[in-house]
Amino acid sequence: MTHEELEEAVPLYAAGALDRMERQALEAHLLSGCQSCRSALKEYQSVASLLPFGLSPVQAPRALKSKIMAARNPEHIAVDSLVKESGRPSLEPGEWMNHLFPPLTPARSLSLPWAIGVASVLVISLAGYFVWTYTTRLSEDNLKIQHLEATLQEQSTKIAMLKRDLNFKDRSLADMQVDAQRKANDAIELKSQLMEREVELESTREQLSAAVRGKVPPDEFASLLRRPDATVVSLAASDMAKGASGVLVYNPVTKKIWLYSANLPECPTGTAYQLWAIDQKPVSVGTFHVDVGEMAHLLVKRLPEFEKVRKFAVSLEPAGGRSQPSGPIYLAGQRS
Amino acid sequence: MDTPTRRATSSIDPTLLANIVKGDQQAFGQLYDHSSTLLYTLALRILGSREEADELLQDVYLEVWRKVARYDIGRGTPIAWLITLTRSRAIDRLRARAVRGQNSTMSLDETVSSRVADLGPSPYESQADQELRMAVGTAITGLPPAQQQAIELAYYEGLSHIEIAAKLNQPLGTVKTRIKLGMSKLRESLRRAWEQGELG
Repeated sequence: MTHEELEEAVPLYAAGALDRMERQALEAHLLSGCQSCRSALKEYQSVASLLPFGLSPVQAPRALKSKIMAARNPEHIAVDSLVKESGRPSLEPGEWMNHLFPPLTPARSLSLPWAIGVASVLVISLAGYFVWTYTTRLSEDNLKIQHLEATLQEQSTKIAMLKRDLNFKDRSLADMQVDAQRKANDAIELKSQLMEREVELESTREQLSAAVRGKVPPDEFASLLRRPDATVVSLAASDMAKGASGVLVYNPVTKKIWLYSANLPECPTGTAYQLWAIDQKPVSVGTFHVDVGEMAHLLVKRLPEFEKVRKFAVSLEPAGGRSQPSGPIYLAGQRS
Repeated sequence: MDTPTRRATSSIDPTLLANIVKGDQQAFGQLYDHSSTLLYTLALRILGSREEADELLQDVYLEVWRKVARYDIGRGTPIAWLITLTRSRAIDRLRARAVRGQNSTMSLDETVSSRVADLGPSPYESQADQELRMAVGTAITGLPPAQQQAIELAYYEGLSHIEIAAKLNQPLGTVKTRIKLGMSKLRESLRRAWEQGELG
């Protein structure tokens, strides 16, 4: 992608409208340090994050907050449920002391009736004490049961939380596996495409070597094929020239294009093939003639405007060529 | 009665997030109060189901609680981070639903009509949020309908420009231009509103 194309992709990126490959290409560009694209992206992302503010607000259900707070902090549920189940808050330590040791009233006289009365009170108190002790123990046991139930509840909540976390992690893992598989598939596909391209390139090299032998300085052409920045455009045959094909190689240093065409029909008398570079409108690059029995032809021309060109085409024109295409198209292809 | 949304959602203090990183539960509660209405509105818009929006918000806030340390103030405001997280998780759900073969909840007509339904003030919002909603609403309704539709299909339904072009049966270049122009106009109108002091 050119810088202009990347720049144009910035608002689409912010709106979430790029597909994965385009997104990755732009991210790589941003990582390379392009400040103008970075600052444009920041502005467009601010716009994108404002979009939801334009919606009519809908309040979340009231219970949602407590659900979230409880899910985040299970202890809260445990304490709440303990209070609800017991129906009253547990006693403070000071209150327990008051129940166990009620304040004593001193005797006013040691006379017999008083003594009997005191004795009766003592017996009743003693009986009461045993009954109290028994009920207190019962109450303690009940509280212990309640505590155990609360602990059980707390543990259950923790287990539920752990299960939830586990499910969440399972989902994340599954997502990651799918993503990894997708990336692996992409890598295999890219590798296969690369191999195909290498085979094509090798075949092109062989064809070109065969075609240009004796006509082209071997050093210049060999060095072009070794250049990593050379651009290759494949031209496909139209119905007019079934079985024909063409490859166009561009050298960015010499600004020359090398058009190798194979199996084009011979030019009828008074005609020639003409190569067109097309951006907004077709511009003639040059003409060539295919003679009887000529299986392949190589055309070398300077084309400084190559970067602007999107498509190439070869048409059959009157000898000497025309300013605009008038005859049938034999080969055509566009830059990837 | 608790009126959480009367605090400005658009201007959440980043220190709130710094406190949550330290485990401050009260700060987490405040963050929920400040942001839940907007995030719930967004989740509901994307998913079209209250039940799913409920579930999504639970997941999002639990993720925030666990991963709040990842928030980086240099990359945007707290609410922008929360919106991005919510949108991203909601779109994930939408895609998972599509993989399972369930239909999208919104039709094409609904996507256009569901934008700014009401520009009047809402009792649940702060003054600042009301002003922001009206400014954003005005900016969006000021776009040609085709541009609004393309942006909404991308933003709220997670469709790429290729998928939008196929859905609308329009050339790819047309859809790209609509989104680009729409976003650019929104940027200009919101910037103008900001400079004229209509926002914040």
